[in-house]
Amino acid sequence: MAILSLSKKPSLLIHRRYQITAYFFIAPIVILFGIFRVYPSIQTLAYSFFRVELLRGRFTFIGLENFLDLLSDTIFLKAVVNTLIYVISIVPISAGLALILAVLFNTHFRLKEFFKAIYFAPMVTSTVAAAMVWLWLYNPQFGLFNVILKMFGFPGQPWLMSSHQALLSIIIFSIWKSLGYNMIIYIAGLQAIPDVYYEAARIDGASSIQQFFRITLPLLAPTTTFILIYNSILTFQVFDQVFVMTGGGPAYATTVVVLELYQQAFLKYRFGYASAMAMVLFLFILSITIGQYAISKRKEVVY
Amino acid sequence: MKSSKFIYFLVFAFASIGFLFNSAEAQTKLTLWYPAGQITAGAAHFSDKTLFTDFEAKNNCKIEMIEGNYDTLIQKIITAMVGGDVPDILFVDRSWVPGFLKEEVLEPVPAADAKTWLGKVNPEIVELSDYGKGKMYGYPQYGIDVYGITWNKEHFKEAGLDPEKAPKTWAELREYSKKLCKVDASGNITRVGLAIRHVGHPHGVVHKFLWGFWAGGGELVTDSKALRGGEAKFNTPGVKEALQLIYDMIYVDKSTSLNFPDPRDALLKGIASMQISETISIQARAPKEAPTLQWGVALPPVRKAGDRPVTNLNSWFYSVPTKTKNKALAWKAIQYINSEEKDYELCKKFSSTPRYKANWAKDPFKSDPYNQALVKMLPYGRAYPNNLGLNGIMEALGAAIQKVWHNEAKVDVALAEAEALANKAIKEAAK
Repeated sequence: MAILSLSKKPSLLIHRRYQITAYFFIAPIVILFGIFRVYPSIQTLAYSFFRVELLRGRFTFIGLENFLDLLSDTIFLKAVVNTLIYVISIVPISAGLALILAVLFNTHFRLKEFFKAIYFAPMVTSTVAAAMVWLWLYNPQFGLFNVILKMFGFPGQPWLMSSHQALLSIIIFSIWKSLGYNMIIYIAGLQAIPDVYYEAARIDGASSIQQFFRITLPLLAPTTTFILIYNSILTFQVFDQVFVMTGGGPAYATTVVVLELYQQAFLKYRFGYASAMAMVLFLFILSITIGQYAISKRKEVVY
Repeated sequence: MKSSKFIYFLVFAFASIGFLFNSAEAQTKLTLWYPAGQITAGAAHFSDKTLFTDFEAKNNCKIEMIEGNYDTLIQKIITAMVGGDVPDILFVDRSWVPGFLKEEVLEPVPAADAKTWLGKVNPEIVELSDYGKGKMYGYPQYGIDVYGITWNKEHFKEAGLDPEKAPKTWAELREYSKKLCKVDASGNITRVGLAIRHVGHPHGVVHKFLWGFWAGGGELVTDSKALRGGEAKFNTPGVKEALQLIYDMIYVDKSTSLNFPDPRDALLKGIASMQISETISIQARAPKEAPTLQWGVALPPVRKAGDRPVTNLNSWFYSVPTKTKNKALAWKAIQYINSEEKDYELCKKFSSTPRYKANWAKDPFKSDPYNQALVKMLPYGRAYPNNLGLNGIMEALGAAIQKVWHNEAKVDVALAEAEALANKAIKEAAK
């Protein structure tokens, strides 16, 4: 017995030492995460229940007043609607187009890698820089899009200058920007599908379309889940391109929740109110994400 | 042994030099923040890095002039104030001042200095300086921002109009615009008669429509000098008529368009014949961007013949934040750059309008055509109200203007909604 207990002790010590070493290794990133992500999030939650006058250093507890004011704020409600339209448009379209491109790129053809790089390039470009370029592309007098339209005999469009077209213009930009990343994720997912399923399907006489809908799509369900959730989270937080291209106008036609939050905080100095907006956005994203995940899980198949 | 002695000697020598260096009287550093960019013609003088040389030499200080983007400077200022890294001098758009006053972040000008200033400057500058009972929170910049109609004289000649006469009434404005606009073979407008501002920050949209708003009997807030109280008056027959005028020019006459977003740019590029905005912008930019442009300047048109013209006055504004550490020196620097001598020197250098009555009596100002045109316009100018809710008022009105011109809402509905929002902002600011 004594011999047995002696042999256990050293291994426990070694295990403990490994644990402590591991914690030391991850400590810096956890601390930084805590300082720059967790603490501000908790502070935002706290601020949402206060009238926060940062410049005067005054905090007045007002309970749910900020949240109740949000319900009657027509501009915030407009921002919510615009954000929902933005998300509902971009996420499925971007995912769908990316899937088509991924299937195409999963075959072999000349200059495949070159074209893959072209489609991925927008992803590595700064959103602000790309938005500045597209601002000029959309210029009603000199922009390339209107030049092309006029070449084909169509009238030039106001694009970002029109409250009816501005949001659509930003949506088009955002789809272009996110396409490459989704395509790469789908390519990875496609390459993970074993060939045996396609061989078996070919032997059984399945057409390409049947193979796509019966094998590719179901087995890509986890990838699709990831893309839908990831893109939803990102698009709900859209800010850069709207700020650069339209500033939320004209006539609040493109204002989105994060932009409105920024304006409330930094242009109107209503930090508590802006914090309440941030919390509402967080709860929204969380519930949509959980819902998407639950629905997507049901669609996954295992062959 | 020898090498260690040498090392000790070096350490002692460096330590002594460092001590002596630190003991020498430290130079005070002041920071001045200003917005830069195409729209900030009034900040052009900050490009001259010798601007404060004399002052720096006499006061053993260094003034660091730091530019920021106009659209994001407010955010930077607020962040800096919250973070405790406050600039010593702010050079801001005067329409931002009520927002800063609401947060109590601007230092008032010492009473004696304010009294001296108000006694020496033109009445329009008094209007821009006085925040009630002689209280000042800063100094308006030279080069007063008075809004007027500017037009392309060549286009007027082409269209058979007198190139020296601007339209005087709204009806004339509409007629002139129809005559001046050009379309191509496909019916696309290639040149608008009147360029309008309808996108961008709501403040900018309002600035460029106040000629119509005020002429139509509208009021941003009824007691314009008071910091609190009063109410917005948007829904008047005249304001409705002004909004409808531009709407009809866009959709009925098609003599103007939403495709030409910046009226100043459009005039300078020759794709607009008329525009109504700050005249100083054209005065400052035309020599570089449109050196051959022959342009005229006059008061904006009135609702009907016989009505008294009205236009807006705005200016850039030097102020000192309450939390700055070098208040006295900051005010001294501001007073230096805004002295009578500097006013004359800088206005002459940058072809701008002085603030002191005495300087207006000197050349080149008393004979320069642009300055003399402005002298005739200035008595009709109105400053923005001092109300602490000004930001909310301007946003509400700006959104209403955009909604009408973008066909998102009818005039009545848009103005009623805007008036309610503006009054809410006035009440919030009064708390």
